[in-house]
Order: sequence, then C-alpha cells, then structure tokens
Amino acid sequence: MKKGLKLADFSRVGGAQLTYLYMDELIPLPPPYDKVEELPGFRQLTEDQRKRLVCNLDGVVSYTGLPRPRDKEEEQKFVEQFISGLNKLLSKENNWTFLQPLLLSIDYCAQCQTCNDACPVYLASGKNDLYRPNYRSEIFRRLVNKYARPRGKLLAKLNRGDIELNWTTITRLYELSYRCNLCRRCAQFCPMGVDNALITRELRKLFSQELGWAPKELHEKGTMLQLEVGSPTGLKPHVAKDNLEFLDEDFSDALGIDISTPWDKEGADIMLIHSAGDIISFPESPIAFSILCNAAGINWTLSSEIPGYDGVNYGLFYDDVQLARVAIRHAQIARKLKVKKMVMGECGHQHKALMTVADRVLTGDLDIPRESVMTFLENLVFSGKIRFDPSKNPFPVTLHDPCNIVRNLGIVRPQRRILRYLCPQFREMTPYGVDNYCCGGGGGLSVMSDVNFTDWKVHVAGRMKFKQVLEAFSDQPDPDIKKYICAPCLNCKLQFRDILEYYGAKEKSGIICGGLAELIVNAMVDIKKPFISWGEN
Amino acid sequence: MTGIGWHISVFGAIIISLTIITYRTLNIVRLPVHLRWELAPIPHEKGKSRYGGSYLEEYEWWLKTRHRSRISPLVYMAKEILLLRGVCKHNMALWPLTLVFHLGIYLIAAMFFFCLINAILIIAEVPLSVLNVFLGITSVLAMSGYLLGSLGAIGLLIKRALDSNLRPFNTVSTYFRLVFLSAVFISGLYVWFLSGDFAFRMSLFVSRLITLDSGASAAFPLSLHLIISLLFVLYLPLTNMIHFVAKYFTYHEIRWNDRPKDEKMVEELTALLAQPVNWSATHVKAGNKKSWADITTGKTNDEKGT
Repeated sequence: MKKGLKLADFSRVGGAQLTYLYMDELIPLPPPYDKVEELPGFRQLTEDQRKRLVCNLDGVVSYTGLPRPRDKEEEQKFVEQFISGLNKLLSKENNWTFLQPLLLSIDYCAQCQTCNDACPVYLASGKNDLYRPNYRSEIFRRLVNKYARPRGKLLAKLNRGDIELNWTTITRLYELSYRCNLCRRCAQFCPMGVDNALITRELRKLFSQELGWAPKELHEKGTMLQLEVGSPTGLKPHVAKDNLEFLDEDFSDALGIDISTPWDKEGADIMLIHSAGDIISFPESPIAFSILCNAAGINWTLSSEIPGYDGVNYGLFYDDVQLARVAIRHAQIARKLKVKKMVMGECGHQHKALMTVADRVLTGDLDIPRESVMTFLENLVFSGKIRFDPSKNPFPVTLHDPCNIVRNLGIVRPQRRILRYLCPQFREMTPYGVDNYCCGGGGGLSVMSDVNFTDWKVHVAGRMKFKQVLEAFSDQPDPDIKKYICAPCLNCKLQFRDILEYYGAKEKSGIICGGLAELIVNAMVDIKKPFISWGEN
Repeated sequence: MTGIGWHISVFGAIIISLTIITYRTLNIVRLPVHLRWELAPIPHEKGKSRYGGSYLEEYEWWLKTRHRSRISPLVYMAKEILLLRGVCKHNMALWPLTLVFHLGIYLIAAMFFFCLINAILIIAEVPLSVLNVFLGITSVLAMSGYLLGSLGAIGLLIKRALDSNLRPFNTVSTYFRLVFLSAVFISGLYVWFLSGDFAFRMSLFVSRLITLDSGASAAFPLSLHLIISLLFVLYLPLTNMIHFVAKYFTYHEIRWNDRPKDEKMVEELTALLAQPVNWSATHVKAGNKKSWADITTGKTNDEKGT
C-alpha cells in the first residue's frame, strides 16, 4: 500500500505490514543505476525473523529489541507507559529542554502538507504515504490530544480523528520515528514554523527516556559505551592513542615526513575533538589534521580522557539526558586541559550538539569557546603559513553539506572558499547549501545496521543524495576519471560508504568519498606524494 | 436585538476572544527557556542571511562583533504575512487559494478599522464630502474582502475535500472551520450587495456602539452577518487559527533564536537544572529525587531497561 494510507490504518491491530517497498516504485536513478533488476533489492525477512521480530511497518527492522506483549495485561502496561511518557513530554519539569518548540509544533500545524516535498525520504520512496513527514507527526499529535489532554477522548470522537493507542500503534510509531533523518528540511519549508523533525526526536525521546527503547547502536553501543569506555567504537583511551600513534608512524613512512599527534597537552591553545570512528574507518582524516596543525605551527592537543577523543554525541538523536551527559563531559575535559577553545572535528552532529544545542547546558566555566572545523581550516588555509598547489587536486570534486553544520548552524561559506581555491574542478550539487538534501544517514541512521535496515537507509533515505551526486558528475561519467565527494562529517561519510558500496559506484563511476582536510593536505606543496589514495591502500 | 443587547454581544465577544488569545499567548511566553534549535536562514544575520550563513562562519566568532539587521526580519515577516511567501515558494498548488483567502481576511480587518474611523468622523460631524471619501474606501474594502474571502474559503473547502494530498488529514473541525468562515464572508457579501450603503450602515452601527447609544441596531440581513461574525470571533481563539500569534514564537523564539546566555537566562537555567526528573527508564537514574544537574553530571554505567 503506497497510496491511500489513512491515519486510522496505523492503529489497526495485527502484525501485518502497513506498506511494502518495491525497488521499481522508488524514484529512478540516472544510468548506469537505472536498471532495477541489476541493483540489490530489499532483503526480505525470513520466516523465523518474522516470528521473532516486530515487523509491522514497512518490512524493515531497525531494532530487534521491541517486545511483544504476552497478554492483554502486558499490552495495557505498554499503553500506560506510553501515556505516562506523553504526559512527561508535556511537563515543564521533565521536558523544559524542548517544551516550547514541541507545543507549538503540536498545536499550530495547518495541515497544508507543504512539508511533503521537502522530505528526501518521502520523495525517494516514490511518495509513499507512510513517509510523509506529517503522517508521523499527526499520529503523535492526535495521541497527545486524546490521551494527554483534558476531554481528549470525547473531542477525538467528536472530531472523528480518533487514533487508538495499542501495542501495534506504539511499535509502529517507534519504528516510524527511525524513518526520519531529522534533517529539518521540512521545518524549513513549513510556513507556520512547525518542526516535524523535532516531533520525531521527541517521540524517540519518549521511547528512550520512558520505555527504555532505543536502537542499540545509538544507546547501548552508543552513548552508554561512550560514557563508560570512551567511544561507541569501543576504543578505550589507550587503544585510541596507540592506534593514532601507529597511524602517525605509518603515514610518516608512506609520505616521507614526520607526523606526530599531541595528546593531553595542558594549556594548549586548541583542543581538537575528532570522531573516533575516523581513526578506524577514515584514518587519513585525523592524520590530515595532524599534518595541517603541525605545519601551521598550532599549539594544539587531543584528549585521551573518556570520552574526550570521540566527539560524537548520539544523545542528540534520541535522548536529552544522554545528550547533556556527553556534552558536559566534553566541556569538563576541555576545562581540565585549560585550553583556550575547543575545535569541532569533521562531524556534523558534534557541531550541532556542542556549539548550539548544549549551549544552554554549558554554563559557568564549562562555557568554553567552541569553534567549527570549517572556520578553523579556512583560517589555516588562508593564513599563508602553508603553501598550496591547487593543480595537485585536478579531479572533479563536489561538496556534500552536512545538515547539522549547514542548515542547522548556518556555516556555509568557509568550506566553499577552501574548495574553490584548492580544487579547480569543484562543482556544486543541486540544491546545495542550506537547501541541501541529507545524505540519508542523518538522525543516527548512518550507524544503524540491524537486520535489514541498511537496505532501507541506502535505497530510500540516501537515494536523493546519490541521485544528486551522480548528476553533479554527469559531465564525466567515465569510471576511469576519479571523482571525490567531499563530506566533512563522519556519519555522512559512513552513509556514503554504504551507498557507494551498494551500487558499486567506485567501479561504475569512479566515485569515492572523503573529508575536507584530506583535500587540503593533498594540495600541500610540501607533501610530495599524493595523500588521497582513492581507496587503493 | 435591542441596543443594549448589541453592546453586550459585540463587546462581550471581543473581550472574551481577546482574553482567551492573551491567555494562550501568555501560556506560550511563560514556557521555560528551551535548548537552542535555530534553523538557517536567519534573516537578522547581516550580509549572510541571503545564503543562509550565520555568525558561526567567523573565525573565533566570540571575539567578533555580531552584525544584526533589524530590517531584514521585518521584511521577511512582511512577505510571509502579506504574500504567504513560504507557501508560494514551496506549495504552489495551494498558494493561490490560500492567498486569496488570507487577503480576504486582511481586507475585512482593514474594513473594520475604517468603520471605526468613519464612526469617529460621524461622531465628530465632519463634512459629508470628507466622510463620503472614507465610506467609499470602506465599501471597496468590504466588497473585495468579502468576495476574496468567500472565494478563498469555498475554494479551500473544495480543495481540502477533493485533494488526495490533503484529504487524509481532514477532521470534522477542518470542514467546520471553513464552512464557518464561508458563512462569515458570504453573509457579508450578501449584505453588501443587498444594501447600497453597507459601509455607512456598518459605520453608523459602530458609532452607536462606541458612544454606548442604546439605539444601536442592525436590521436583517446585517444582523445575521454580525451574529455569525461574533460567533466566529468567539470560536477563533479556541482553534489553531490563531497561528498568527504562534508564528511569532516559532520564528523569533525558535528558528531565529540564537541569543547568547545572559545573567537572567543563566539564572533561569540554573533553576531548571535543579528541578527533579522522573523519567522512568533506568539509564536516566532519576529516582524521583535527582535533579537534571545531578543526573547529567553523575557517573552512569548501567544498562538500559525499564
């Protein structure tokens, strides 16, 4: 059922799927990716999985931990927990953090549906009704009005907008809250200023903070692991340090220069916070920063204290308590090191979490100046301290705008100044800047890969972005011409990696993805060997 | 209805409506300060708002003077209010009807303002030639406002009922609101066509209201139009149609709110962080006693569950 989905369908009991996804219904991709039969499809769940797992939304499972009630009594317990969560979301004590934005988005939607065409998920799905940004919000809105407000049940009946709250509704709503990238493109389109992404996040928050349900990649192996051992990657401080020291040596040998990364240097001017995922998955990124900072003579440091070497903050995607805990820890570490400022690494949600969202939690001596890596690198490139030769970057380059850096923080130009200077074949995607499409990994989705979720995040969530990338390089389709997507954000890079692998885009189109610092180092006159390896190492 | 009846109805409806709107507005104002949640483009960013840039694009922004434009947000909102810029840019299929509808409302609001001026002119016994000019303007505003409003309300009613994009989200109150508004506009249009001196009758009625003249009266069908309109004035603040108020907050207090912390805000934040938390999930470790400050700065290492 792609079209004609009613709001009331959502609460119909039973384990049946609400909608089915077919590759030929998705928005078409340009050649050579236009032949549906040649592309990997959606993995169907096995009979066993269907018996074990809750799969009543779209055939995709993002979380295997969703429980099934054994009887009516247990179902009622879930319903009561959910209603309790709704009430807490509406209370000043429990939700002062986002109460005003939430209430305004609940109470003042004009139901004009302007948000639909903003949403890359809805567009990519071939306009599947289930993925309308307002479908999820309106279900939530009606549940709030019915179950958490005076005379709600009577008014819901009179208004004929009744949504029944049962286990099916709750579990479908949980899954649907993870079919959104929280990119806020819909909020940008909304004439009223209603924010569907915020509603989605509040829903996730209810599930996490009240029912204890959250994707294991974001919670158990995400923020919990980060606060406990230092990083969702599982890297403990000494392992992170060892890994980077090994990389320093490895790249020093390969490039014939001396590379070293300072750790825990008290009184440094700058504390740089990478994402530890970069150390594992994109090691050129932290090494590029070490090369640049040292070449410019910057007094800088990394921290090896938990979780100071990993700037990710998955709390931003689902849980206010975890968001605050991680942000406060980051600031405490900077305070302890007595640094003059913190510089965000190439990580979009780290930018948003530390620079603005947590700004009002970081008071007193925790309010240490926090700067974006974009302005930091722009200043470094144009400082005159390092010599560059743009002809060393002769390949086509396009820029992906991480939503959390661009749409949410308004940092648009510094990265473009660098690319226009250092990459002669730089070209924009359409649309770009604050109008960009999400990579499809936003909202934490890029690190989620349970059961068959990766199929969905690549084929649906990331489809508009992949289409944009192909169009940006459409003048040079030859796979022998190497092309570079500059994505200055770890989560975006992880999502691109999945997309490019799924479609075989490196082989078919010669496209790879990397960060911004790598392009800068690649253009350095003093680095004689090519720094970008095109995935050949 | 007798003179005193009109006084009670009109002033009563206006006072009740304004009271409810004020109450709902204060409820929004009194909500606690929230975490920052701004969204580009922010029009007060001088020289940057055109492409969505912000002060965070400046190297060591905390050492720089922030340049804020006072005019740009006003221009942005004027376009948004008068031309429905957002709908025009992103939802062209809806824009013509909703624009016509909103213009109808604005013109009727202007018409009532002119009626008030006319009433004062009548009380002041200004020369008829002067009054006629104002009555002429009022009449044009009334006719065009009622006409556009009727077209817009009926058009939106039909579109909402037939458009597969909009229909699934309709409720009884969606239709009720549009039917109600259609009744207001169509009854006004009917009175305008039926009586050749609509503007004068309305202005005279208003003058008798503001002078508390017990002779205030309105004959059918003007009386019917006034009663429908007054009922709508009472209904309006109970609905989300007061989005003209909410919109101020969604834009200025959320999208464009990048205010740095000041002493007063820090004081409020400190009080908020001291509040007890009672979220139930075990990882929160709330225990009904701990505050936000306690749970976010304490050690956390247990597993998730309920």
